Amino acid sequence: MVHVRLFGMLKTLVAGANSFELSLPEGSQVKDLVDSVQVQYPDLGELLLQKKVVVSVNQEIAHWETALVESDEIALLPPFAGGA
Amino acid sequence: MAVETEEGMLVRVQQENFSIDQELERIRTRSTLIGGIAMFLGTARDRSKGHDVSSMTFEHYEGMAQKKLKEIRERALQDFDILEALVLHRYGPIQIGENIVLIIIGAEHRADAFKACQWCIDELKKITPIWKMEYTPEGDVWVEEHP
Repeated sequence: MVHVRLFGMLKTLVAGANSFELSLPEGSQVKDLVDSVQVQYPDLGELLLQKKVVVSVNQEIAHWETALVESDEIALLPPFAGGA
Repeated sequence: MAVETEEGMLVRVQQENFSIDQELERIRTRSTLIGGIAMFLGTARDRSKGHDVSSMTFEHYEGMAQKKLKEIRERALQDFDILEALVLHRYGPIQIGENIVLIIIGAEHRADAFKACQWCIDELKKITPIWKMEYTPEGDVWVEEHP
């Protein structure tokens, strides 16, 4: 089971939740997480597929081949809008 | 309260407002070689993409946002001929006209100070996990694209 944090507008796609849990088999990679998100949250999955939303693992932007373990800090990040 | 190192004070994500004079002084006193200081101050405006904006809120990814600002400062120090760099960003509710973001670069000469300052704010927008919600008469809007 991995814990996935959500930021910005992504929370509106998951009924206002800040995070959700996903059950992934051992040895999963980010692309498996994306597949699983597509099934459970299709709108969110679409944004991931379009690369409009990126995945971070342990506070670094991850690639689709990045391996995941249960203790990883995983987050989905919509386009940044810092500055003024 | 943890004692902040001087270096830690040069990269901050904080809710409270900052004093431009104090931050300028922080850079000015870092080196007597400094002969030029460039600054970018971003403030909250009341129009965005043709809509009125009454106020805004910034959300950040605690830990990662600080990490990215630290990277920006370190890369600026490495890639430009500058002596010091400060990068601050606020989060939480911000009223129109208030400070949002501050970049200050201290260098021997102006050219690199200007270049590094522009690079820092451009890079901040690209790589720092910070998001903005604007409150408009049409409703609350998460800002998605921000050139």
